[in-house]
Amino acid sequence: MFFSLVAKKSPPKAAAGKLSLSHVSKRFGNSDIAAVEDISLDCQPGEFVVVVGPSGCGKSTLLNIAAGMTQPDSGGAFLDDQPIIAPGPDRAMVFQDHGLFPWLTSAQNVEFGMKMAGVSPSERSDRVARALQMVHLSASAEKLVHELSGGMRQRIAIARALVMDPAVLLMDEPFASLDAQTRTQMHHRLQDLWCQTHKTILFVTHSVGEAVRLADRIIVLHSHPGRIRKEICVDLPHPRKFDSPDISELAKLVRKEIEDEVNRVNAVAAEDSWRSQENADLDAFADDLGGGI
Amino acid sequence: MLLLTIWEGAYRHYHWRTFIYPAPSHVLDSMLGMLGIQSGFGEPLHPGWPAPLERDTDQPPLASRIFHSELLGANLVSAIRLIVGFSISIVVGAFLGTAMWRWTSLDEFLRPLFLGLQTLPSVCWVPVATLMFGLNETGILFVLIMGSTFGIAISMRDGLRSIPPLYRRAGLMLGAGGWRLYRYVLFPAGLPALASSLRQGFSFAWRSLMGAELILIADHQGLGFLLKLGQDNADISQVVAVMIVMVIIGMLADRLAFAPLERRVHNRFGLGTTA
Repeated sequence: MFFSLVAKKSPPKAAAGKLSLSHVSKRFGNSDIAAVEDISLDCQPGEFVVVVGPSGCGKSTLLNIAAGMTQPDSGGAFLDDQPIIAPGPDRAMVFQDHGLFPWLTSAQNVEFGMKMAGVSPSERSDRVARALQMVHLSASAEKLVHELSGGMRQRIAIARALVMDPAVLLMDEPFASLDAQTRTQMHHRLQDLWCQTHKTILFVTHSVGEAVRLADRIIVLHSHPGRIRKEICVDLPHPRKFDSPDISELAKLVRKEIEDEVNRVNAVAAEDSWRSQENADLDAFADDLGGGI
Repeated sequence: MLLLTIWEGAYRHYHWRTFIYPAPSHVLDSMLGMLGIQSGFGEPLHPGWPAPLERDTDQPPLASRIFHSELLGANLVSAIRLIVGFSISIVVGAFLGTAMWRWTSLDEFLRPLFLGLQTLPSVCWVPVATLMFGLNETGILFVLIMGSTFGIAISMRDGLRSIPPLYRRAGLMLGAGGWRLYRYVLFPAGLPALASSLRQGFSFAWRSLMGAELILIADHQGLGFLLKLGQDNADISQVVAVMIVMVIIGMLADRLAFAPLERRVHNRFGLGTTA
């Protein structure tokens, strides 16, 4: 509800938050395998999309393309049909290692983007106060980054992104370095925040549990080259109970999909032997995909 | 303290030659003498010790003597040279370091050169300075600047390189592009590097200055000149006294200015404390 207030103050935006990646490919250096190959992905306004996949499958590259930090070799990224050419606060990003500035206090970190945008100091302190309240860290406003716990740092990073009232929120394994309890807490908080703000979120993770808890739609990536292996729509209503049987059922399904993918990658790496005996499904799969590798 | 007492005792017992091995008391006399205070700590014990046996009675008041003393004047001259020269070094060094960090080709060209020049003892610049600028202030400043700039540039560059690339990405994401990225992200992120390079640069600058003053005699007489004077007058007490003053000043500057500065920046960043 706070962000609807903010939206009234700032000039009306055409941006509704539709993020589209259209046939993007990216290859790094002179590697002959594409990190990302011909991926098309549309995130509808207000949709929570989670990209999962084993490490090295190009998830982060995908996110960086959406952020405008990386330019694709071919294809394009669009926000509400405007091409994405550079990083900007309309596609605020939450990094795995928070990326907060250690020389600033929590409040100053949250304020930073607005300061760059030339927002007046009085409005800045208003919005900072409300953003800190949203992540329940008002009491830590004057703390320095190194005085905060890991979970608190990520919450400040989320506040720093949300305070810019972005069209899209990009999250790059934001909870990967937290312990299990904190992570679950963060999932609850993020779910609450999302229910309040209904931002479009593109979330990258290697954790299946995280994906099924949060996502409207799960994209399973396939590595070497990075392509979409499977899309799974999650029809469970928000807010979810994380321990419900539906969720664990779904997690099993997705986990199976990822295991198959990991097995496939391992099989390709080990080149043969156990693959034919261990996993008949995989063999069939490898027939049409592994042949070119 | 104990060591000094033994030294003094041994000296008085064995009667070493004053012009080769000074006693601590001689050094003290010499130091006070340079400050315009007459004292006789080194003289044999007599009634009225430590006042000297023979005393100039016709002298201006003490405050005025101290104010016009050799040591204070020399310190002032050296301090002014240091401030001017070191400021130039910081600006030039920080600029070069930043440029090296920014442009890799420049870095590849300059870094080996600077590392090489850094191994050159700074007094080796004295002949160049003498021939190019003559025996004057410019020559001394030249030696000081040559002695400290390269070190500052190198450590500035190394420090900037250690800034996590994530800060840059976070800054860009938050709309800090162009000069704002430098002003609001990269410059503050580089502060710990700058603080450390200042601390290191100061010790280079101080050593270079003392070396230059010792050899290159200009119009004004710095601390290095007093050392040279001690040598010329075969006054070992003065030599040792001046050396002690040099060490004290170098240490004080580090303890009172540069180490606290570095510590403050590091604490702010949550980096481990360094002495």
